[in-house]
Amino acid sequence: MAPIVEATALCKRYPLPQGKGHFNAVDGVSLRIETGEVFALLGPNGAGKTTTLEMLEGLTDIDGGQAHIAGHDVAREPYVIKRLIGVQLQANDYFEHLNLQELLRLFASLYGSNAQPLALLDQVNLREKAKARPAQLSGGQKQRFSIACALVNEPRVLFLDEPTTGLDPQAKRKLWTLVETLNAGGMTIVLTTHNMEEAEHLCDRLAIMDHGRIIAEGSPQSLIERFAPTPGKAPTQGNLEDVFLHLTGHDLRE
Amino acid sequence: MKQLMAMALTFLRIFSRDRQAIFFSLFFPVIFISVFGLIGSAGEDPIAIGVVDGAATPLSQQFIAALATQPRFALTQGSEDTLRPQVIDGSLALLLVIPDGFDDELAASTLRVIAVTSQVRQLDLVLPVLEQALVDIERQLRDTPPLFTLQLEDVEARPQNYLAFLVPGMLAFVVMQISIAGSGYNIVEYRRKGILKRLFVTPLAPRHFIGALVVARSLLCLLQLSLLLGYAIWILEVPLAGSLILLYFVILLGTATFLSLGFCLGSLAKTQQTIMALGNIVTFPQLLLSGVFYPIDILPGFIQPLARLLPLSFLADTLRSIAVDAATLTTLWPQLLGLTFWCALFLFLATRLFVWKDVAA
Repeated sequence: MAPIVEATALCKRYPLPQGKGHFNAVDGVSLRIETGEVFALLGPNGAGKTTTLEMLEGLTDIDGGQAHIAGHDVAREPYVIKRLIGVQLQANDYFEHLNLQELLRLFASLYGSNAQPLALLDQVNLREKAKARPAQLSGGQKQRFSIACALVNEPRVLFLDEPTTGLDPQAKRKLWTLVETLNAGGMTIVLTTHNMEEAEHLCDRLAIMDHGRIIAEGSPQSLIERFAPTPGKAPTQGNLEDVFLHLTGHDLRE
Repeated sequence: MKQLMAMALTFLRIFSRDRQAIFFSLFFPVIFISVFGLIGSAGEDPIAIGVVDGAATPLSQQFIAALATQPRFALTQGSEDTLRPQVIDGSLALLLVIPDGFDDELAASTLRVIAVTSQVRQLDLVLPVLEQALVDIERQLRDTPPLFTLQLEDVEARPQNYLAFLVPGMLAFVVMQISIAGSGYNIVEYRRKGILKRLFVTPLAPRHFIGALVVARSLLCLLQLSLLLGYAIWILEVPLAGSLILLYFVILLGTATFLSLGFCLGSLAKTQQTIMALGNIVTFPQLLLSGVFYPIDILPGFIQPLARLLPLSFLADTLRSIAVDAATLTTLWPQLLGLTFWCALFLFLATRLFVWKDVAA
């Protein structure tokens, strides 16, 4: 079966501030994500994770390479793609003066979907907040609401950009459960994170990115076996964070 | 189309729940026209003049009685010693001294006018009236009919006061303010919050987003202006001479013009501060130059031709012509053409500048 998300040599160029040349924020990224997988892009800040995701979503122009979702060209058929995918962005502010139910109804109407706001809120455990405004939600509730908004069109692929950044452990676990439930229903999920525990816990496969390139790819276990330090005597010692630091170095990324 | 309707309804809901913005968009215009309404209705104060009857003859009394009938004057009689200080302290505009021996026997007598000339702006107005009163009395005495009389015929079928001038200008100004804020400021805010980006990943077409914002803003603008217009007409009793339908049509054209301008500014500005600055740059000069508070005619001559070409000038002028002069399309077409030109220009620029992907990202 063909992969549901397939990217070949994706490139994103940005001009340098001095007007001299450009740099590649994403530099030849190729991905094959199978239907029903939970796939993570892992990397330090500025590695190009979000840019890669935005190119797959059609938010950012693709400067080089190609991307297909369910066989449709992202650059040529943006409006087909928009209906196939659900997107949760890093920024999750919504219109003021509208409550959750009204916002979900708006998103549903933009897809011509009959999705029931209350049913969606049930899915993310927010029914009791139906009449609340997004500003009144906690961080975790906001993220779950963003996912509810991304579900109005019953997407085949759900993109989550750093869904658990800034959440406390309880909220994080709750979100993981939600992702697992959605995935159990057959939805393909592509997420970015710099949380190793998250990648290890949630993902079937992951790609580690740095400087716009993929530097390692595979299942969490296979990466640990290959890259964790001091293999041999105790092959499964170390965790994904060791792999990550081994591959991307210890320098601070700010 | 369904998307446009859903989006437009959402915008209407959002805007109508933003009570604070609606309140302030109407509060200041209402205060403005109310204050000027009160000033206008008080009318002009009569000029206080003092009269010293140094003659105390039937003729002098006849003269004083003739002056007293003039509504323009408030007469105070007294002695020169008591009234002179009042001229100096300003409570009397001038003091008229009728000399001893002012009667029919005398061929000619000189009346003294005591005034602080540098302070009496009305002197040019007052002296001719005094002279006219004297001439009338003289004619009566000599029994000579006047050779010429002037008869004033009032062809102005409408009362013209400052409020009638101000209200249409104020309407035009409010159209500009809420339209630019409604598109420009909102877009910058939606971009900053990432809302545009979020909408961009849905199948919502950009033209439907823009269309919905325009529809919702125009409806709300009409509602706000109806409230303002209703207040002016029913509470302040400002007359509306022309066609209400034409008035609304022009308001809609103005809304479209300034919404487009707002889209241009909102696409150029990346931050809230920039859009505020850009907004002020385009609104303030128009506030001063476009005949909102005072006619363009009183501006320095070299500015006038330029001032008349500003979009707000066309809008204010057209609304005023309809409200005050009952003007119709046959006379308004040049201004409407001017406004349409601006509307088309801003719309064209807006479509160039408001690139969904760039503005959203």
